[in-house]
Amino acid sequence: MSREISQTPNIDNSNSPSTVTENEDPKKPPNYKRISDDDLYRHSSQYRIWSFTKDNLRERRQQTNQRAIALINEKLGKFIEEKKSTLTEDELQTLRAKASPLSMEEEFQLINFYSKKVQVIAQHLNLPTEVIATSITFFRRFFLDNSVMEFDPKNLVHTTIFLACKSENYFISVDSFAKKAKSNREAILKYEFKLVESLKFSLLNHHPYKPLHGFFLDIQTILYGKVDLKYMGQIYDRCKKKITDALLTDIVYLFTPPQITLAIILMEDEQLISRYLEMKFGKDITNNTEDEKKEENKDVNETKPGKTEDKTKTPNDIELDKLLVVIGQCVDVLEKSESVTTEDAKRVAAKNYYCQNPSILLQKLKRKLEASGDDNGSESPSKKPKVEQ
Amino acid sequence: MSESNYTKEKKVGEGTYAVVYLGKQLSSGNNIAVKEIKTSEFKDGLDMSAIREVKYLQELNHPNVINLIDIFMAYDNLNLVLEFLPTDLEVVIKDKNILFTPADIKSWLLMTLRGVYHVHRNFILHRDLKPNNLLISPDGLIKVADFGLARAVPGPREMLTSNVVTRWYRAPELLFGAKHYTYAVDVWSIGVIFAELMLRIPYLPGQDDMNQMEVTFRALGTPTDKQWPEVSSFPGYNKLQIYPPPSRDELRKRFIAATESALTLMENMLMMNPHTRWDTTQCLESEYFKELPTPSDPAQINILSQKA
Repeated sequence: MSREISQTPNIDNSNSPSTVTENEDPKKPPNYKRISDDDLYRHSSQYRIWSFTKDNLRERRQQTNQRAIALINEKLGKFIEEKKSTLTEDELQTLRAKASPLSMEEEFQLINFYSKKVQVIAQHLNLPTEVIATSITFFRRFFLDNSVMEFDPKNLVHTTIFLACKSENYFISVDSFAKKAKSNREAILKYEFKLVESLKFSLLNHHPYKPLHGFFLDIQTILYGKVDLKYMGQIYDRCKKKITDALLTDIVYLFTPPQITLAIILMEDEQLISRYLEMKFGKDITNNTEDEKKEENKDVNETKPGKTEDKTKTPNDIELDKLLVVIGQCVDVLEKSESVTTEDAKRVAAKNYYCQNPSILLQKLKRKLEASGDDNGSESPSKKPKVEQ
Repeated sequence: MSESNYTKEKKVGEGTYAVVYLGKQLSSGNNIAVKEIKTSEFKDGLDMSAIREVKYLQELNHPNVINLIDIFMAYDNLNLVLEFLPTDLEVVIKDKNILFTPADIKSWLLMTLRGVYHVHRNFILHRDLKPNNLLISPDGLIKVADFGLARAVPGPREMLTSNVVTRWYRAPELLFGAKHYTYAVDVWSIGVIFAELMLRIPYLPGQDDMNQMEVTFRALGTPTDKQWPEVSSFPGYNKLQIYPPPSRDELRKRFIAATESALTLMENMLMMNPHTRWDTTQCLESEYFKELPTPSDPAQINILSQKA
């Protein structure tokens, strides 16, 4: 499995102690280097197991999809083979037209639709932000290796939320959870094992909320006196919301939490983030106009005398140009992700249902024929697959 | 990840949520321990302790933290395959036939601090450090184990339960029922373990939660607002007997073999105020580890009972 995230730059959470450590202490051995937060992140299961390149990710989904397609086709083939003698031409045609497995894109649509559902339900249950984030993450990871044709996504919505509660230390007993979620114990627990197994027993998530908090503290330090605190509070809340939305996309597989965070702040206020990054990592502030530059230096010198040097110096050779490129790519992915309409989701869910239950498709056809035979056109209201609302 | 690669040969322990077996990893012939989580007995699905253990051990890879080798499912049970660790520090401390030296103690403390330092820098609190959870490998390495009570470091406004850590190793902020606490609770526990290693009997053996406060403050002094601002605003504080902190001389008398820097380290790990208590970095950089004797080579420490 490839562990490569394209051009991961050294972004450290700026408020962590390890970044301050330099090679200055004479008592330390010459090759002394403290492990950075970046090194630690590379050891996390989120990075080891759940980070991909775009191609990796696509490949993985393709494999899952292909495997399920083969299974469905085999079942369909058997079904047709068994009933061959009794099937009419009409029925055969209907089967061929409507009972076909989902494509990778269709699966993806359904997963996206239900991820949103997970978010809505978890929010409805008044769960803390981190629990909601973990629910979404678990749900999406489950369907990287499992097809919606093998596991109906609606059967995993509550299971993932319930496991996320426990994993994030927000314990609710299964009975009270079932009551609140209008589900039942058996349904919630049925796939819990399968879920944990599919998650490769990797349960710790690094969501971008902590980096967001860290960056906001740091922005206020670096741009001290130049940002309106009330305004900062407002965009903090907006960014937090956007992070949750970002978790509904593939972005989390492609970029690190701080990269996603910077991209989101940039989408909210490009000027703020470029001023901050320039001050923090820029070699010199050439992009600013003369006036701004003067003013900035003056402000900083007045408010934090003597500290300007330390604060603006880069602690671990982050190349601003490279960093900006990565953030740009991240913004690109975020802007391109679109949500799935209910109509599309319904269509795919119906297709998913029929390819797994061809006999129901035939029953439906029969009823339709009977109804048109009766000529009063009253279609029976029963047996339509539902996308849960 | 498959059950067929492991054998379970001997049942060696049974806890509230797991049974531990000794066995072998067939592919390598190595000894292993299998912790079988009794999932079927829990009506709320996978047990929280099991979830915590899996969650945190997956992230931790360090010579002084127990190694989670594999996980597999079998017969509706979750099985954690762990490295084989034949003994623990509690057994060693209690076995009066084992003799150990100040250099051995230093070695164990150093390894414990390194392990916990790694846990902390991964933003994890252990919350149940005690000699019984410091396991010892065949080559003498200390391994921090049992992450069933661990949790992520809380955010600034998160509320926590203070009902953590085995009583004798519980930091004063926990005794006071603090709803917010952090890494310092683990350092306190290590401080108590350090004292226990030197005394070879439990240092603060409270009989119940109330008595634990009494025992703790009698030994180390009742905290006052001066050393720990607003400590008196904890509920229950005003009922406390006020004891003075022990003088250096009193500590010297109690810990006869301890050097001055050993006492300094212990005092700073057992600082009442969690904000001024040393963190693991400060502990690791303390004078105690720089002065003689140098810590024993773990492989050379003889912890086999000399009885026979």
